[in-house]
Amino acid sequence: MKEQEAFLERYETNTHRIGRICTIVTLVLLVGAPFLIGRVLGARPDMTAVLRGYLAVGLVWTVSSVAEFLIYTPMLGAGGGYLAFITGNLINMKIPCAMNARDIAGTKAGTTENDIVSTLSIATSSLVTIGVLAAGVLLMVPLQPVLTSPTLAPAFDNVVPALFGAFGYQYYRKNPKLAAFPLLLMSILFICVPSLTSQTSVLILPAGAITIGLAYRMYVKAQRRKGGL
Amino acid sequence: MLSQLNSPPLYLICGLIILFVAIVCVIFLVRAYRAGKKAGMDPAVLKRAIVSSASFSILPSVGILLGVIALSGSLGTPWPWLRLSVIGALHYETQVAEAAAEQVGIGRLSGSTMTPEAFVTIALLMSICIMWGMVLSVLFNKSYLKKIRRRGRDEKKNAGREGFGDMAITAMFTGLVSVYLGSYIGGFVSGRGHLTFEGDFTPVLVCLVSAAVMAFFTWLSAKKGMKWLEGFSIAGSMLIGMLSAMVF
Repeated sequence: MKEQEAFLERYETNTHRIGRICTIVTLVLLVGAPFLIGRVLGARPDMTAVLRGYLAVGLVWTVSSVAEFLIYTPMLGAGGGYLAFITGNLINMKIPCAMNARDIAGTKAGTTENDIVSTLSIATSSLVTIGVLAAGVLLMVPLQPVLTSPTLAPAFDNVVPALFGAFGYQYYRKNPKLAAFPLLLMSILFICVPSLTSQTSVLILPAGAITIGLAYRMYVKAQRRKGGL
Repeated sequence: MLSQLNSPPLYLICGLIILFVAIVCVIFLVRAYRAGKKAGMDPAVLKRAIVSSASFSILPSVGILLGVIALSGSLGTPWPWLRLSVIGALHYETQVAEAAAEQVGIGRLSGSTMTPEAFVTIALLMSICIMWGMVLSVLFNKSYLKKIRRRGRDEKKNAGREGFGDMAITAMFTGLVSVYLGSYIGGFVSGRGHLTFEGDFTPVLVCLVSAAVMAFFTWLSAKKGMKWLEGFSIAGSMLIGMLSAMVF
C-alpha cells in the first residue's frame, strides 16, 4: 500500500515536471512560429499593431484565461490541466469530455484516480482532434463542398447545443433541485438582456459561483441531518 | 498571397508543431494508463474512458474542422490548422483574427487584402492573446492544486465527513451548462425583440432532442444491462440532436 502511495506521489511530481516542460516548449513554438513564418514570407510582425490589438481584444481574453484557469484546473487535475491548456477547445470539448470520462469511471474530484482519468480523456480527445483535422486538411478539396453544404450547415451550427442538451440531462437529473435555480436565473437574464448571448463565457464564473454556493447550503443541511456538523 | 500562405514551408512549420503536441499527448496518455493500472484501477474502466472520449470527440472535431475551412480563405490552411489543433478555441480564433485584421489596417479579414506583414502580425496577436492559460499553468498549477487538495483533506479530517470538493465540481459544471441552456432559451424568447418568442428555436429544439436521446441511452444502459452504451451515449445523443436541426 505504501509502495503504491509512493508511486502515485512520484507520478504526480513527474506529471508537474513534464507538464511544465511541455507547456514551456509549446509556448515558445507557438509564439516563435509567426516570426519563423515571417522569415519565410520576408516580413516582420508590426509590434505596435500587436500592442494595439492586444489592448483592444487581448485583455478580455487574458481575464477570461484567468477565470478558465481557476475554474477548470480543479476539474481536470494536474496532467489534464496542462494538456487541456496546451490543446485548447476547453468549453466546447475538453471539459465535457473529461467530465463524461469521470462519470464513467466514477472517480472523485481531487483524487489521483480522477487526475488519471481526465488525463486519459483529454489526451485521447486531443489526438482525435489532431487526427480529424489532419485528415480534413489532407482531404480539404473533396471534403470542403460536403462539409460546407447548406444541408449540413444547421447540424454543424448546433454542435454546442447538442452537447449541452445531452450534458444538461445527465447533470440535471443528478440534482434537479440544484440545477433549477441557475437555469431559471440564466434564462431570465438572457431573456431580459438578449445581447448577453455574445458574452456567455464571461457568465460562467458567476453562474458557477452561485451554483456552488447553493450546493454548499444543501451540503451543510445534509451533513447536519447526518449529524456530521 | 494565399498561395504563399499555403506553401510547403508553412505546412512544414505548422505540421511539426502539431506533431510535437501529438507526441506530448501520447506521452501523457501512456503515463496515465500505466499509472492507473499500477494504482489498482480496473483496466476495463480505463479503456472505457478512452473509447468514450474518442467517440465523444469526433463530432466536435468535425465542427472544429469547419473552423479551419472558414479561416483558410483568409489565413491560408496551415495556420488555422495549427491554431485549431493546438491551444486554439473555435469561438476565439475567428473573433481575434477579425479584430487583429482591423488593428493592422486591412479592415475585414480577407485573403484578397492580406499582406505578409499583416499575416504575421495577426498570427502573433492570435498567439499572444490566448497563451495565458498556459502561462498560468506553468506558474500556478502545482501550488493551486496543492492548496485545493489540502483544503479538501482538512474538511474531511475536521468532521470525518465526506468532502465538498466533488460536489463543488459538479455544481460548477451544472452552472456552466445552465449558462448555455439559458442563452438558448433567452435567444428564442427575446432574440428578436423582448418577449416576442420569435428568436431562433433550433438550439432549444436540438438541446431537447439531444437530452431525450441521452435519457433513452441512460435507460438502456441502466435498466437493460447495455453498459457498453455508456461510451457512446453522449456522441450518439449529439449526432441525433444535430440531425434534428437539419430536419426541422
